[in-house]
This record gives sequence, structure tokens and C-alpha cells, in this order.
Amino acid sequence: MSPGGPDLEKPMPATIDTTYRDAIHRAIDEEMERNPDVFLIGEDIGRYEGTFKVTKGFWPKYGERRVVDTPIVEPGFTGIAIGAAMTGLRPIVEMMTMSFSILALDQIINHAAKIHYMTGGQAKVPLVVRGPGGAAKQLSAQHSHSLEGWYAHVPGLKVVAPSTVEDAYGMLKSAVWDDNPVIFTENPGLYTLKGSIPDDKDFSVPFGKAQVLREGTDLSLIGYSRMTQVNLATAERLSEEGIDAEVVDVRSLLPLDTDTIFESVRKTHRAVVVYEDWKSGGFGAEIAARIGEECFDDLDAPVGRVGGLNVPMPYARVLELECIPDVENVIAAVRRLV
Amino acid sequence: MATTEADQRKKKSDAFQYGTYSAKLTADDHKEMLLQLYLARYFDVRLIKEKKRGRLTGTLYSSHNQEAVLVGSLYGLKPKDWISPIHRDMPAFFMKDIKAGWRNLDRMGMSVQQVCAQVWGRVDSPGRARDNWSHIGSRSKHIIHSTSMLAGTIPAAAGVAYADRLSGGDAVVLTYNGEGSTAQGVFHEAINFAAVHSLPVVTVIENNQWAYGTPTYLEYSQEDFARRADGYGIPGLVADGQNVLDVYDKVLEAVDYARSGKGPSIVECKTFRAYGHGDHDDDRAARYRPKEEVEAGRARDPIAVMKRIMVERGLMTQKEAATYAAEGKSASEVSNEDFPPDVVAYLSEGIEFAINSPLPPAEEGGMWVFREEN
Repeated sequence: MSPGGPDLEKPMPATIDTTYRDAIHRAIDEEMERNPDVFLIGEDIGRYEGTFKVTKGFWPKYGERRVVDTPIVEPGFTGIAIGAAMTGLRPIVEMMTMSFSILALDQIINHAAKIHYMTGGQAKVPLVVRGPGGAAKQLSAQHSHSLEGWYAHVPGLKVVAPSTVEDAYGMLKSAVWDDNPVIFTENPGLYTLKGSIPDDKDFSVPFGKAQVLREGTDLSLIGYSRMTQVNLATAERLSEEGIDAEVVDVRSLLPLDTDTIFESVRKTHRAVVVYEDWKSGGFGAEIAARIGEECFDDLDAPVGRVGGLNVPMPYARVLELECIPDVENVIAAVRRLV
Repeated sequence: MATTEADQRKKKSDAFQYGTYSAKLTADDHKEMLLQLYLARYFDVRLIKEKKRGRLTGTLYSSHNQEAVLVGSLYGLKPKDWISPIHRDMPAFFMKDIKAGWRNLDRMGMSVQQVCAQVWGRVDSPGRARDNWSHIGSRSKHIIHSTSMLAGTIPAAAGVAYADRLSGGDAVVLTYNGEGSTAQGVFHEAINFAAVHSLPVVTVIENNQWAYGTPTYLEYSQEDFARRADGYGIPGLVADGQNVLDVYDKVLEAVDYARSGKGPSIVECKTFRAYGHGDHDDDRAARYRPKEEVEAGRARDPIAVMKRIMVERGLMTQKEAATYAAEGKSASEVSNEDFPPDVVAYLSEGIEFAINSPLPPAEEGGMWVFREEN
């Protein structure tokens, strides 16, 4: 291998074209094949194959001992998974929607996030809680929550929100092998996103690393999950009028890679943080505060924030669209800075 | 041998006498109940047709084959009684107190226009299209909203009953639940609370055998779910959910028991979900459910059962029973000619009203989060 360059001897891994949904499916499938300790538990994930079809085909393949259909009882099955994780298994809990994980908050926050600390490391909880988080289409107030900011508030949890197909694949692998409880949120609007993943079962994407998906010089658009895709589209629009935006994909909220964020802001001197969660108190507020604390002297304008409208998600499509950040909202925020 | 507590509880259950209520129903009552069965069925199939025609978007949750549970349970209520329907009970919102006149806007139920506007997400829906489908309620009409977190409104129902008793009322609160929600912790918490406080809460279990894609044997381990009541020391009744008169009898027994101050009951209505969990699931439902089970479950259509009873009682001729043959037909097989014209006209008025009702202004999306903004 030549110093500082790619290993030209090693063949490049082939890639597989797939979707965000199928990348998650594949990651789970490969890890269940690899290790019999990995099992799935949740509502309608077996016979029904999951409401968003992420667990398609697993019930016949792995049997009902490893693909557990539960009654409608989020606190109950989350607690069962925690117990199984404490005793050595690696459960993957599916929330039919992350909104339903609110019912299991006691189990997740009071138990999963605390057990390792409370027992002085005598017990660990290698648990993955995954499912769709954020607005889909007209699922309204009780199915559309973006709760990753809540979870990222809790020491003891890891919280990730992948934005690309490759990251969905690689970060789920990392989630399964992490010895801590991981909240893995999948925006339903991303499930059909197309992309490619390496044809490599050992591929993984580490937590705590942000990435620059588009380099630019005039300002930094910072986001995660589906908002990163909105930011990429916004950057294209801005380039038509000669504004060169950099897109920083945070993808891991806890742990948070502030180095990559700060480096981008120090280069562009302007930042807009975009998040689907309610603007007030959402995780974007935390990112903006960190930039303000650490990069004050590098900024040429106040840090902009674009977040969801602070209302329960309404049903009628016209109302719903009003509440979710889109390209126009981001551009409006950019105009206030440049 | 000394009387045990279990014996006493059994006595409490045995105190019920079945059939006494429906025996008092008149010929007109029978005809009205049959008409209401048609109405609930027509609501279901017409919405599916509207969606296929492209005039409606959103997910529909069918009460097809379960209408006897709604009609039989609602028919014996007093106007002041409360109900808390769930997603599969959409017709209940406009069929509550419908005996007071289908087009009577002062009755203690929502109008069919309001309910259709809700389905279409229009400004004239009770919640101005803030939320979808069954997520509406009305304090003035004594209807508790439904919620996505199933069983989540039984605590609210117990609270309503508690408040009504504190103010000296004698209203009964009827909560509807699928058997799929009965494993939730709050189901236990709320019924236990109602039992301890002898609150007038009647929990109707619409046992349609499937919770989304999960069969009953993965949900609970009893033969008759109603036996869960034994654990709370309250009556547990089993009704034939395909027979509107049996539902009427059992629910009214429980309602009278509650109104007299004796406390809550569970009424399990055994029925069958004829199609998917929602209309998005209709094709798939045929794959995860055994064909024989589905055919057997659809075999006793509540409209056909009621017609047979009426013929046997001399309230209808065979020829009359053969007209308006909606029974046994799926949404794609049935047409307007299979329903009484009054039923078609009534619902059509609601649908045309909804379609002509405007969408809410987009700027309303950010309004009314707090009470003081009203």
C-alpha cells in the first residue's frame, strides 16, 4: 500500500443498489444470520411483516422464537427486551411508529438508559429500539412525532438518525453490535430513497461521526435524517443563484460530532440548522447553541434555525405541509443570513 | 361449606337474565334496527367506492360484518349516555341517539354531514380537520374522542363516569375496544379503577379475532375473553356479535346494572373482521389469514341473521327479505340497489356536504394550540 493513498491491491468492494428500507432489512437479516442472539420483537412484525415492511420474510426464515409478535403493549415488550438484553441477547425492538415509543418511555429512560450506570457496569443493555420517526403522509397528531431530541437528552442512550441509504445499512450494523441501548430513528419519508451500499457484510458506519455530503464556501446547512435530503435539494437551488452551500449531515445525535460541524462553520462563517422536530426545544436548538458557544468569533451572522411548526401535526395535507420544513423554508432562512 | 368470595361473584353474574330486553322490542324497532344495520354497512362500502373513484383519500377502517355490535349496543342507550368509539366504529359517531330522528340535529349524536366532513378532512368536521378519521369527540354530544393508543381512552371513560357520578348524574359510559387492545396496561388499570369505585362503565369488546395481523391466541389465553371480568369481581357477558338482538340484550343488561349503581361490566361480542385491518390491507389480509377461517367468519352476516329472525317472527315475508340483498357481498360486489333508498339518500347527503365543504385555510395549521387562542 502506498503511504497516504488507497490500497490499490485490494479490490474495491462491489456495491448493491437498494433503498433505505431494504438496506435496513438487509442489515438486520445479515446480523440475525451471523449471531443467534439477535432477535426481533414488536407488534405485527412476523406474520404481518411489519407495517412498513422492514421485517418482510423474517418470520418464516427465523421462526417465531426469534421474530416475536407481541400484543399491543409497548411498555411490556420493551421491558421484555431490556430483560433479554441484560441476560445476554441482542434484541431489536420495532416500534410501529416512534410515536408509540412514548408509551414505553418509562422502560427506555428509567430502565434501559440507567441500568448500566446504576449497577456500576454489572449489567449492560445491548438493545436497539428502531422504527419510523417523523411525519409520513397524513398520519396526523399521534403518528408523526420526531422524538430523537427527547432521547438525545437522556444520558445513557445513543441516538442516531441516518439520512442516506448507506448510513441506514452501516449504522444499523453498529447499533446491533453496540453494548448500549440505541435509539435508531427512520424517517418514513426516506424508506423509498434509492442509493447503494457496499457488498460487504462487515461494513459499518461508526456513531459519533458527522459527514460533509456537499462541500461549499458560503454557508453551512446542518441537519440529520430526511432534513439532510432537504438540505441537499436546497443547496442545488441556491447554487443556481450563485450561493455555494455546504451540507453537513449530523446523522448521530448522541454522541454528537461537533468537530465536523464547527470545522464547517469556521470555513463558511454562516450556519442554518434544519430539523423536522418542533422548532422549540428540538435537537437543532442544541446544535445551534453549541455553534454559538464555540464559534461565536467565526460567525458573520446569527445561527439560523428551521424547525417544524410548534403544533400537533394536523391531518389535512395542506395543513400538514405547512408544519414540515421544506426547501422554501430553508431558503427563506438563508436569505436572512446572506 | 362457607360461601366463598368466588361463589358470591358467580351469583352476581348469574343475576343476569338474557333475552328479557329484546322480547319487549316492537315490530318497528326490528325494522329500525335492520335499517341501521344497512346504514352502517353502506357507510363502509360507499367510502371504499368513493376512494376507488378518486374522490377520497386517507385510510378507512371497516366495520363490515361487525355492524350488529354497534347497532345493538347503541340502540338501548339513553341520550345522556356517553360512548367512546374506536377506529372501527366510525358509524357510531352519527348513529348515537339516531332513534331521536336521523335528520334531527338536536339529538345527542353527530350529524352524518359532520362525520363525512371529518372523513374528507374538511373545515366542517368537528375538529376542523385537525386530526383524522375517528379522532373526534364532542362534550355536548357525550362522545369521547378515540385515540391511536388503543385502550387509551378507557381511563378517560372511567374519569367521565366518575365526574358524572360526583355531579349526581346517572349516565352510563360505553367504551368500545377491540380484543387487540386488552393486553395494554391501561386496560387493566382503568377497569380495575372502575370496579373499585363501582363506576358505570360498560366495556364492549368487539372480539373480531384479529388485531391487525395478530390472532387472538397470541393476545390472551382464555377461551372466552369475558372471563377476564372474574379477576375484577365484575360481570363478564358473552354476546353473539352477529345477532343484533343478542348484543342489545347483553349490553342493555350491563347498562342497567351500571345505571343502578352496581358497577362496571365487560361485554364480549364475538364477531369477525371480514376484511383487512384497514383498506390498505385488504389484499394482504387474505394472505395472512386462513381462507377457511375467513369464509366461516363471513358466513353469518348480521343483516342476514336479523332478516331470518324477522321472518321467523312474522315481521317480514320471505320476499321482503330477498330485496335489498347487501348481505354477504363485499364492497366491490355490492351496489346501491342492494340498499334501501332511504339509507343511500341519507349518506349521500352527508358525502355531498363534505365534498362541498372547503379545506381549512393553510394558516390554521399553526393556530389553537392553546385554549386561549380559541
